[in-house]
Amino acid sequence: MKPSRSHLRFFFFVVVLLACAGARADDLPGLFKERVKSVVAVEFFTESELDRRPTIASALVADASGTLVLPPNAINNYVPPVKLKDFRVYLPGRPASEYSSGEYLGQDPVSGWHFVRVEEKLRGSLTPVTAFTARDASAEPSLGEEFWGIGLRGKDEDFMPYFMASRISNVQSLPERTAIALAEVAAPGLPVFDRAGKFAGVAIGGFGQTFVQYSRNDRGLPVMLLNVEESSVFQLAPDVIPWLARVPADVSGRPISWLGAYGLQPMDPEVAAFLKLGDQSGCVVSEVLEGSPAETAGLKARDIILTVDGRPLPRFKPDRVVVTYFERELGRRKPGDAVALTVLRGTERVEIKATLAEQPKLLREADRTYFEKLGFTAREFVYGDGIVRRVKLAGHKGVVAHFVKNSSPAGTAGLRPDDWILEVDGVEVKTYAEAIVKLAAIEADTTRTEFVLLTSRGGETAVLRVKLK
Amino acid sequence: MKPATVKESPTPSITRTCTLLAFAFFVPVLGAGAAVSKGFNHLLDAVVRIDVREESFDAGARRFTAGIGSGVIVSDDGLILTNAHVASPRSVELSVTLASLERVNATLVGWDHWTDLALLRIDLAEAKRRGLTFTHARFADSDTLFPGQTVYAVGTPHGLTRTVTRGIISNNRRYFADNRGVKGYETGLFNTWLQTDAAINPGNSGGPLVDEQGRVVGINSRGYLGADNLAFAIPANIAKRVVADLKGDGTITRSYIGIVPGALLDLEGFYSLKQNTGLLINSVDPGSPAARAGLRGGDIVLSIDGAAVDGRFPEQLPPILNIIASLPVGYNVKLVVKRGDQTLTPAIVTEKLESRQGEEWAFEKWGLTVRKVSRAYARENQLDDDTGLLVIGVQPGFPAAVAGLSRGDIVTKINQERIVTLEIAKALHDAFVAKPAPTLVEAESDRRVSLYILKP
Repeated sequence: MKPSRSHLRFFFFVVVLLACAGARADDLPGLFKERVKSVVAVEFFTESELDRRPTIASALVADASGTLVLPPNAINNYVPPVKLKDFRVYLPGRPASEYSSGEYLGQDPVSGWHFVRVEEKLRGSLTPVTAFTARDASAEPSLGEEFWGIGLRGKDEDFMPYFMASRISNVQSLPERTAIALAEVAAPGLPVFDRAGKFAGVAIGGFGQTFVQYSRNDRGLPVMLLNVEESSVFQLAPDVIPWLARVPADVSGRPISWLGAYGLQPMDPEVAAFLKLGDQSGCVVSEVLEGSPAETAGLKARDIILTVDGRPLPRFKPDRVVVTYFERELGRRKPGDAVALTVLRGTERVEIKATLAEQPKLLREADRTYFEKLGFTAREFVYGDGIVRRVKLAGHKGVVAHFVKNSSPAGTAGLRPDDWILEVDGVEVKTYAEAIVKLAAIEADTTRTEFVLLTSRGGETAVLRVKLK
Repeated sequence: MKPATVKESPTPSITRTCTLLAFAFFVPVLGAGAAVSKGFNHLLDAVVRIDVREESFDAGARRFTAGIGSGVIVSDDGLILTNAHVASPRSVELSVTLASLERVNATLVGWDHWTDLALLRIDLAEAKRRGLTFTHARFADSDTLFPGQTVYAVGTPHGLTRTVTRGIISNNRRYFADNRGVKGYETGLFNTWLQTDAAINPGNSGGPLVDEQGRVVGINSRGYLGADNLAFAIPANIAKRVVADLKGDGTITRSYIGIVPGALLDLEGFYSLKQNTGLLINSVDPGSPAARAGLRGGDIVLSIDGAAVDGRFPEQLPPILNIIASLPVGYNVKLVVKRGDQTLTPAIVTEKLESRQGEEWAFEKWGLTVRKVSRAYARENQLDDDTGLLVIGVQPGFPAAVAGLSRGDIVTKINQERIVTLEIAKALHDAFVAKPAPTLVEAESDRRVSLYILKP
């Protein structure tokens, strides 16, 4: 039976009440039981030419309308959203045979988070993490303070929730305020709470620890270990709560703002001192992309960006965080917004006023067609392909081999993924549509014994003969 | 310690060699059939061991390494033929051990990494002063070799001086693409190889491959390590030409137009070509004479300067490339090119062929070793031009390493000055040595530009 809207609201009200009054501070088992309702496990399938691969990720509940947030690395950026199938949402500890379906909403370009909306029937069993009082910016975690969070076991254990806790050893700006605990506090993407049950932040993955590995053959080999299931690092609530509301309007994640300053590199303090910039931080622009707002505004390769809208770029440790800071600054803005930059060009300070544009078509948005008989997928040549191959806009043409099946005619002929196909049967293919028409005709022609591709790889072209019989 | 007299030589084989050395000097060489062993022994007297001390720039400093190779004396004025990967401009000391076990210094006359051959000359003044004598080998016509023919390899495998191994010609026109080359220098583009199953090991390099009469048919060059007797030698006919060219001014000038061929195999039907005609252009180097003339991948070259070409099989490609390489630089070469139904006659002027490997240098005070970016390297890596120095080593604890520079970076500017030549960087380093001061370095890595400070 489908619960009515008023029912839901009532339920939500009860939950909020529970959150506020249900458990006493320090009643960790009680707090845990309530807060487990703000986490779920999400399973989905990535469809490729040959198979479907399952992925399982932890997700937190962002709001009362069933919005779930998955960490950035849960889904590969290059996968087109249409290839993500069959989202299933599991309640922690409930039999894995009982799941609800979900819908993929897209990726937020600023946080990198992926959003999923669960079907209505499950929403009543969930409590948004925002329903719990959050620690505000004035109450930053102090050293040694204890925090706790939730981890989820595997599917074979019905995603059983479990408790983790640790003390804070350090708080840094990366550029979000980020707490680093002595040991794992939560699964990546899941919330972290303080002893009183206040929402303190969201655990993030990607922080490894360095060890030295000894074995029978190796004497002291430095290795980095990364715990992919649990994390000891979390971004603090004041910085991430605004992100919870950044549900993409469209599954493409658009609008995505674009400046076109490529290969930003941090300027280290030594260089700043040499250039007599004092405590100023900055980003070196490696290249300015063709046709971009940066180019129009007169930004040049090797300019050093010093300020954004009059505010100097702050110094971070490590230096490279300044690049993320700058990218967040752009991400916060919309296409059409203006951004003013001060750059150092040689010894001269230059003011740049750029109007951000919409990001050109991304790789995940590129059209593609799989030719089963030929054994490869042809993908539209997009702006990013031009950057990687150093091809001017005027030279954008052809298609890219996105996937090549082993031992297929194309594979045997020597075609490799990422090869750029310039000609089919000795005739230049200007557009994706043109290439698809040609390839489809070859695939449909049962009398064809061979066809010829002119491909480019690493700047070198090669003629490939594909034998069909 | 060198033996005081020949009689004191420790092993019977060497005594025999020395005896025969005398024999060779006093008795004229007889007819081949009657004196197979004489010819062979004559050859043995012309084979030398080469000890090389060379500089390397891989570790952020100038360092020295030692190696052993083989060689064969090819003239009575002491020219020795060996491999370019044995003796090169990096060699700082070359010492040759003659068949008499006497050691004598040698100097590099010239090298040609494209064929992996180098030419040395024995220090004749020293040889004369010490009364050292030697003989030289004769060449055979390598074009008449046939698979199955017995051949012998002579050299210094693993330092085992004067080792003779026997095998047959396994293939007389072997083609293989060699991407690693000679110390990073390109090789093998303009010749096919002799393949033999005579055992060839490290140290055999530069030694001769000979027929039963002891005539040089090839220069042993490489083998597949770990494989069972798959070894390769440069044919004598190629070597003869290289010797003749290097003898002059120590270099060989070749021409370049920038086409990369592919074997046509059975694509003739697709291109509507007559049997056994045409050279398929697989790729055209950006910015090269061929690219400027509008040639592109998929074009078919029908003739070069009026002579029809046939590039159906891979082993036919090096000789065709050699035809182009042998043209004079700045020459207007006439190609007839087929593209679809069109026949083109593009105007192409040859350029001087250059290696992708630039000059190497060590900036000792910075703990930085570099290789000049060459035109070919810039082309291959899609760089804007040949500005810059490729970092090939940094020494831990020295300014370059401390600043964060690492192998693979390309230094494009030092103290805001563009590094167009190696000399500019040398001058800046000299200034740093004279008056150490923080130095700003701009470097690119994977198209990302970073700034570094070298601190004294």
